[in-house]
Amino acid sequence: MKKTRWIAGITSLVLIMGLATGCGNSSNSSAANNESPAKGNGATSASPVTLKMWGGVPPESGPQEVIDNWNKEHPEIQVEYVRFVNDDDGNLKLDTAMITGQDVDLFVNYTISHASKRVESGLALDLSTFTDYNIDEKMGIDAESWKIDGKYYGVPTTKSPFFIALNKEALDAANLPVPKEWTWNELREYAKKLKTGDQYGFIQNMEPFVDPIDSVLSQEGYAKADGTSNLDHPLVKQWLETLNGMMKDDKTTPPLGEQLTSKMPVEQVFLSGEVPMLNIGAWLLRSSNNFTDFPRDFTIAFAPVPRLAEAADDYVSRGGLGDYISINAKSKKQEAAWEFLKWYSDGGMSPMAAGGRLPASKDANQDDAVKSLIGDKSDSYDLDSLMYVMFDNQTPTYVRSLPQEVMDLRSQEYEKYFLDSQSLDQTVQAMVTRHNEYLKQNK
Amino acid sequence: MKASWMKRQQYLGYLFIGPNMIGVILFFIIPAVYSFYLMFTDYKFMSPHTKFIGLDNIQRMLGDEVFYIAIKNTLLFLVSVPVSIGLAFIVAVVLNRSVYLKKLLRALYFMPYITSGVAVAFVWMLLFHPNNGPINGILRSVGIANPPGWLSTMETSMYAIDIIWIWFMLGYNMIIYLAALQEVSGELLEAAKIDGARTWQTVRSILWPLVSPTTFLLLITGLIMSIKQFGIIQAITQGGPGNSTTVLSLFIYQNAFRYYEMGYASAVSWALFLIILIFTVIQWLGQKRWVHY
Repeated sequence: MKKTRWIAGITSLVLIMGLATGCGNSSNSSAANNESPAKGNGATSASPVTLKMWGGVPPESGPQEVIDNWNKEHPEIQVEYVRFVNDDDGNLKLDTAMITGQDVDLFVNYTISHASKRVESGLALDLSTFTDYNIDEKMGIDAESWKIDGKYYGVPTTKSPFFIALNKEALDAANLPVPKEWTWNELREYAKKLKTGDQYGFIQNMEPFVDPIDSVLSQEGYAKADGTSNLDHPLVKQWLETLNGMMKDDKTTPPLGEQLTSKMPVEQVFLSGEVPMLNIGAWLLRSSNNFTDFPRDFTIAFAPVPRLAEAADDYVSRGGLGDYISINAKSKKQEAAWEFLKWYSDGGMSPMAAGGRLPASKDANQDDAVKSLIGDKSDSYDLDSLMYVMFDNQTPTYVRSLPQEVMDLRSQEYEKYFLDSQSLDQTVQAMVTRHNEYLKQNK
Repeated sequence: MKASWMKRQQYLGYLFIGPNMIGVILFFIIPAVYSFYLMFTDYKFMSPHTKFIGLDNIQRMLGDEVFYIAIKNTLLFLVSVPVSIGLAFIVAVVLNRSVYLKKLLRALYFMPYITSGVAVAFVWMLLFHPNNGPINGILRSVGIANPPGWLSTMETSMYAIDIIWIWFMLGYNMIIYLAALQEVSGELLEAAKIDGARTWQTVRSILWPLVSPTTFLLLITGLIMSIKQFGIIQAITQGGPGNSTTVLSLFIYQNAFRYYEMGYASAVSWALFLIILIFTVIQWLGQKRWVHY
């Protein structure tokens, strides 16, 4: 009896000690962590500052080379690149890391809606506190769309053109010129003429799929003057009808249901020469430069994205600037981060061009960028049209700024339309109703 | 002396369950209670301003068309549970007898359950491809001119998901049934045989009632597991096309982690909890009629 009690006592004692040492350990180690940088500073004053930059591009597609270049030149400020996948989970991971005060010094925002959420919660530093870099002057008027409440909370670093990539040989064979401006109706005709047998004439990456609507509504407003949804704009209907006609009557573009559920690899389909026209953005270059995985025997020409309205006057195309890099407002190394950010924007980022991300700053060396953009494959591109869509096209641009909820409700409804589950009028009606609901909810 | 020892032993008991309980309290009880509170706020992840908004979230939920679509889809999804259990029972009965390649077949049926969900998703997407997929290829070759579009149409996508889920759960259900069938006493089967019972009669009147506690277990765990399931749907369709495969759990996930609408997502979570509770209570009440211990 006594013995059991004794054993029990010992056991519980051991358990308690275990718990205590567990806690003790962790507090010890955190103390050690706090101590070590201080000690380092005391001993050698030149111990480097380490910055952590979070971005969505895989390190091997440019970022690693960029920071290696920087780290070589700047032993006092070392940068580490942390990749997050730019999807819901990845952005959540970044947000959580920042909220909980982990080391994030610089981070890349890929959409305005993500950036403004972070600004609202005080995570992005107001860059007007630094006066030695004029973002407007460096990046041009397109930077304007990245102002949040009239201020820059980040530097839009890249130019990200969107375009229709064309199979030059197929166009030549059909006697079609490479257009410098065109409408969706013209593209529809092109697709009909280029269609051979059972193949499609035109495919789209899902990312810019819905851009024609945004091109219109970014100018005319997503809400009408009375505060109700503008998704019943006549051009929205026109877009729905045009694409639906191409899917079902002309059979020149894949039905949406098929494309979505098979997760059609559009880059590969285009680069293999199966389909002569592809609606996509600059990231196509990442694949089209890669002849090992995507062998190709034709020249790629580029055309701007077509417009819905007949008149070219009011047309704006998607693109402008992207990769909005912010400094964490809670970071203790803001000065160092700012130094890096300036260098990055003014051309340090050139290696990123290999993945289709051209530097936006006027001080960056465009030739270098173009060189890494097309590498040693310049023979396989139609350079005139490439330079036109990347640099010379003067069409004003917009940056997508619609909240994710509205993007989703819109796509859910147009999917139903393209899948024949509801009529055109029902679709527009449903979009408007749900959008109004959203507007009311988020007044 | 004895009483005090007992008392002490009680405290000691708490000490032993302590480590586990701390985990449950920290990671389950507190979050659950907290989400109950969040339900009445407009909390958005990262947003600095949160205010108490009473029943607004619940009102919004009841007026949200997608919420009802999600309930409908969830119910359609749950149909897969009894179907899978039924199939698993048949397979288990067959495999419990002397069949050629019994062990190999058992292993094969169990394979899906231990395969990575994402891999499963991609394979099924290929199989279900409306034009080039083998399933529709077979259907066409046996003379069905317009086979269903499976995942690519609004009308069939939920059933396609059901088929995948039935296939996925089959192995697990079968293994549990096999274990239960091994427990059935050989004497009963022998007696039935002597009395001249046919195979079908033996299965229906002896095996099925004797494994009914197992069926009950599989039904409850299957329903709860399926009602919470969203990974496989997220991997295959992300709730589309349209919102034809948005089940409640996916709807919650999207609201919470895509739109950061934590308050609203909490409200829908509690609705989901209520639904699970109702299902479970109905089953507990109903079990008296058909479960024989």
